[in-house]
Amino acid sequence: MTGRIDPLGAAGLSFYSKVSASISHEIKNSLAVLNESAGFLEDLTLMAKKGRDLDINRLETLAGSMLKQVKRSDAIVKNMNRLAHSLDDPWTQTDLNVLVELIRTLSERTTVTRGFKVTAALPDSPVMAETNPFFLKNLIWLILDFAVNRPGNAKAIEIRPEKSESGARISFTGFANLTQVALNDFQTEPVRRMLELLNCRLQADENQGMIQLSFL
Amino acid sequence: MRILLVDDEEEFVATLAERLSLRGITADWVTNAHDAENLVNTQHYDLAVLDVKMPKVGGRELKKILEKKQPGIKTIYLTGHGSEEDYQAGSAEAEFYLMKPININDLIRKINDALDRKAQGGGS
Repeated sequence: MTGRIDPLGAAGLSFYSKVSASISHEIKNSLAVLNESAGFLEDLTLMAKKGRDLDINRLETLAGSMLKQVKRSDAIVKNMNRLAHSLDDPWTQTDLNVLVELIRTLSERTTVTRGFKVTAALPDSPVMAETNPFFLKNLIWLILDFAVNRPGNAKAIEIRPEKSESGARISFTGFANLTQVALNDFQTEPVRRMLELLNCRLQADENQGMIQLSFL
Repeated sequence: MRILLVDDEEEFVATLAERLSLRGITADWVTNAHDAENLVNTQHYDLAVLDVKMPKVGGRELKKILEKKQPGIKTIYLTGHGSEEDYQAGSAEAEFYLMKPININDLIRKINDALDRKAQGGGS
C-alpha cells in the first residue's frame, strides 16, 4: 500500500459528497416549509377548538403548499437516486440531453447561491454518446463550478449538448474573463484523468466566452 | 417587539411570520438581502432572523449590513444544513444558530433570550 489516493476516485467521491450535501440542504428546506404548514394547521385547529371560525381558504392554501413540497422532495430524491445509479454501468450509451438536465438540476442550489442562472438548451432529438455517465456528470459539475468562480459580472451560463462530426459535444457559454491560461489551470490532474477516461477534449473560445467538451 | 425574517424560501418565511403573529410577535418578512436593506432603512427592528445560505448575499454578510444600519440589532441564524465549521463560525457571530426545520417555541425562546441579553447590554 502506497498511501497515495487515486485522484480520479478522490474527485468522484468529492463530487458525490458535495451533491449529497447540496441535496440534503434542499430536502431540509422542503421539510422546513412542510413543518411550518403543518404547524400552522395545528394552530388553526387549536383556535377552532376555542371557538374561532376556521378559515377554509387558508386551510386549502396550506394543504396545497404541503402537497407542493412533497412533490418537490420527491423530485429531489429521484434525482439523487438517478445520480447514484449512474455508477451501475461504468460505460454505456447515454443521452446527453438527459444527463445535462440532471446535473444542471443537481447543481442548481450551488449555482443559484452564487447568483448564477444556468440553463440547458436541449435539442429535440436525443444526443447519444458512449461514455462513463458518472465521471461525465462529475466533469460537467466541475466546469460549472469553474464558471461560477470566474471573476467578472457574467451571471448566466448555457449548456448545449449537440451532435458533431466526431459524435457529440457539449458547449458551455457565458464565461466571464475566459482565457486559455485559466482553462489550463482548471485542467488539474483529476480533470485530465477524467478527460482521458471519457476520451474527451476541452477547448476554450476566449472571444465567445465558451468552453467546448468534445467527444473524440 | 418587532422582528425581521429573511429567507429565500417564501412559503417558509411567510408562514413562520403568520405563526409568530398569532403568538403576539410582529414579524416582517422578505426573501432577499436587497429587500431587507430597504426595510431597515424605514423600520426599526429589535432582532433579525436570517437564513445563512441565500442567493447572492447570505445571512452572514447581511448581518454585517444590518448592523451598520441599525447598530445593536440582534441576530439569529437559520440554516437547512451546515458543516461543523459553518456551525462554529455562525454560533460565534450570532446570538443563536438554529437548524431547519425549527420548533416555533424554541425560536420564540431564543428570540426572548437574545432580547433579554440586549436589554442587559450583553451578547454579541
